[in-house]
Amino acid sequence: MFRCFLAGRPTKNRAKIAQKNMEYDTIVIGAGLAGLTAANARAARGERVLLLAKGHGACQWASGCVDLLDAPEHPLAAIAQLAAKHPLHPYARVGPAALHGGLKLLQSACSKMGYPLVGSPTQTLRLPTALGALRPTSLVPLTMVAGEARQLAAGGPLLIAGFRALRDFFPPLIAANLRTQGFPATSCYLTMPNSERQRDFTPMNLAHLFERPAFRENVAQQLRAHVRQGGYTRIGLPAVLGLHHAVTVVQALQQTSNALIFEIPTPPTSIPGMRLAHALEQAARQAGVHIQLGSWVVRGSGSQKRLETIYSAAAAREQRHHAQHWVLATGGILGGGIRREPQGALRETALGLPVHSPSQANEWFHPHLFAPGGHPIFQAGIATDQHLRPLDAAGQIMYTNVMIVGSALAHCDPLREGCREGIAVATGYKES
Amino acid sequence: MNHPPPLNQGLDQCIKCNICTSACPVAAVSDRFPGPKYVGPQAQRFRREGQPVPDDSVDYCSGCRVCNEVCPTGVPIAQLNARARAQIVAERGVPLRNWLIARTDMIGRLSAGPQAPLVNFVLRLAPTRWLAHYILGIHRHAPLPLARRHTFRAWVAERRVQGTGNREQGTGNREQGTENREQGTENREQRTENREQGTENREQGTEKSVLSSPSRLTPPTSTPPTSTPPTSTPPTFSPHASSPHASSPHASPIVYFHGCATQAYEPHVGQAALAVLEHHGYEVLVPPQNCCGLPLISNGDFVAARRAHLTNVRHLLAYVRQGIPVVGTSTSCTLTLKEEAPEILGLHSADVQLLAAHTYDLFEFLRLLAEAGQLRRDFRPMARQLPYHIPCQYRAHRIGQPVVDVLSLIPGLQLSLSPAACCGIAGTYGIKREKYAIAMAVGQPLFNFIRQSGSDLALCDSETCRWQISHATGVATKHPIELLAEAYNLSYYQS
Repeated sequence: MFRCFLAGRPTKNRAKIAQKNMEYDTIVIGAGLAGLTAANARAARGERVLLLAKGHGACQWASGCVDLLDAPEHPLAAIAQLAAKHPLHPYARVGPAALHGGLKLLQSACSKMGYPLVGSPTQTLRLPTALGALRPTSLVPLTMVAGEARQLAAGGPLLIAGFRALRDFFPPLIAANLRTQGFPATSCYLTMPNSERQRDFTPMNLAHLFERPAFRENVAQQLRAHVRQGGYTRIGLPAVLGLHHAVTVVQALQQTSNALIFEIPTPPTSIPGMRLAHALEQAARQAGVHIQLGSWVVRGSGSQKRLETIYSAAAAREQRHHAQHWVLATGGILGGGIRREPQGALRETALGLPVHSPSQANEWFHPHLFAPGGHPIFQAGIATDQHLRPLDAAGQIMYTNVMIVGSALAHCDPLREGCREGIAVATGYKES
Repeated sequence: MNHPPPLNQGLDQCIKCNICTSACPVAAVSDRFPGPKYVGPQAQRFRREGQPVPDDSVDYCSGCRVCNEVCPTGVPIAQLNARARAQIVAERGVPLRNWLIARTDMIGRLSAGPQAPLVNFVLRLAPTRWLAHYILGIHRHAPLPLARRHTFRAWVAERRVQGTGNREQGTGNREQGTENREQGTENREQRTENREQGTENREQGTEKSVLSSPSRLTPPTSTPPTSTPPTSTPPTFSPHASSPHASSPHASPIVYFHGCATQAYEPHVGQAALAVLEHHGYEVLVPPQNCCGLPLISNGDFVAARRAHLTNVRHLLAYVRQGIPVVGTSTSCTLTLKEEAPEILGLHSADVQLLAAHTYDLFEFLRLLAEAGQLRRDFRPMARQLPYHIPCQYRAHRIGQPVVDVLSLIPGLQLSLSPAACCGIAGTYGIKREKYAIAMAVGQPLFNFIRQSGSDLALCDSETCRWQISHATGVATKHPIELLAEAYNLSYYQS
């Protein structure tokens, strides 16, 4: 429509100069871990990148740890075995180099924010959840590492503390479940220090409060009293210990309380997940990436197997975007990149790519909820070639300049396999 | 297609993940507002017509729309909240204070003009502010803009008079057009003839200052706009009317929506907008218009808001039916014309849609020109680094940062981008006694950013944000269009 009232003919040169500012080498769709990794990786390779997303990504729903694979000992070795056995699995597609590159990128972004991720892809760590179960993962923030199962087993008595005002975090439940697993855990509720806030303590509100020295000093004194009384060597607290200065907060609490402090991830929204997203966003902005949220990609168009334009919903009209390369990081069924239509078919929401899935809806679910092999539906996703380019039902490449990354990929079940973050950073990092 | 769900279905899209609550700038600083999820999609289930409103805390929603921006499932939370507030107002009536401050055009009319110095003086007296604070409920420290003696429309009218004087010899048709001004019709052919004659004239030496006169739009026919059959949306622009270069033989018309603030308090913003548009060869029209209705919407007065919007539709319909775009410098006004009024007020007629489809924020429009290679590049270099805050209402357009895209074409100019979600004032929210402190706390990250920039000037598109920034930091503020006009070296009247 706009073109119509721009009848004047620009000189070619002029158009080129003006457009340069608004044209991108790559547009990444999706602001989750995969999209943020892709944006950073490409900006680091000198590309001009726009990150376009409908909202915050699924990082804020996750633990803030980096899960590579649910393996008893050595995730990296297990990944190699998996790749050999399942050549279509995203790990097999991208290879170990991309995984290492992606992890390095993520770790460096977090370190720059003073929030180091510790651990190694060669070792499985087990950390308590908000239910007191132990969850396998590989890289964890410094603020959580004192809760690792080996350390818990070696140490003395353990205290799990929380606030009654913080919903969905129950120290007695966590402690009881840890005790059944053999850890000497006790629980307590702390008194909420006075602040101008009287009610509604969300994880975010508490994270802000913990960044105030007076607030955390009050909590630290309470912990100190508990330590004196119970002789605890470690204290587990909900993962709300600051948003931007978590390491400082934890150090301050440790110093005063004389015990090691570790964070336990809370149900969404996840402050540790947010910290990861912030670190990557910050790094991306510094590398010149433009980030535009609130923009739903509604369709794309192209020719000769090249995607040329996409359109995002905006007030009163769609916004058009052009780029040379595209990265689709819109997530799977959980992240909203894949949806079920009322008629029962699955569709990829941004570009309308064909979704690889079990053909019949009655084959989507295993009769047993906790079937070890999982439910087939969660393997649904976009099938790709070895360069992560999308394939149609006949196995033909649909777009040569589009890469699919993260949980939108078919042939894996990131949650059940415990590889959500690993797939995200490895595929996000991969060069096209 | 993957469009966000419509308002009435949006409720069911909420998965209660609390991402909105974590991002909400109001919930972060005050527990009077429990968060968008609670008062929006959750409380909505308890709101039924004819039943009492379950919770008043929705009144503490500032309407900044950050929740909409971050929601991963597309729930139109801010719209739900706006409607919930209107339900409270419908039940209990509009409080006097809100009735008053929502009528920004009326306040502007009463304060701008010859009486402005007196009004400004009286409104700034401590006793006046004290009375307003304790009796009306307008916070005594809230930023109040200075009313101007000369309004924007008065300036436009003066300019027209001078301009027609210049051009009198050959514009017989134009005179006729002026008479018919109020009838705004679309006899496109004849109109173009008129314009061509005018242009010849202009080229003879009356310089290119194309006048902003509503009369230019009006063809000498007399069909009232309402009687024309509705056009399907979106219309196409007739090519012969479309050549935006200053060098081109005839100028394209464009309608400027100035909004209440430019009219009464900041005419220089409108003057800069006109200068830039005319620099690109547009013939800028400033037809009659009233408040976009946003202050009424955010104070829950939907009845008056509908009236305001439909009046604007009536005023502007004749123009948009001819394919003439409407641009505005107040990003909240343009958002209201584009989306808020139709969506929140439930106005979906073809005419309303037609206006929405033709309305652009000025920098959105300029960016489209740039994308088409038609933005003029005769900038003078500006070796400056300036902080820029994109208003929450601009982000709600969901078109990225057009100001950054356009201004970064100016050689030497560097913008440092504010990381803040909102300045806090949110139109009339931050001037209310009970909300002033919240608004100032919400804006704190922005104020810190601006202070730390060390700059003596900050850029922001929205007038109330500018007032809030200057109020909190003491740093002068400008609309980006003023800077663009300076970069083009255009002299525009500065008060």
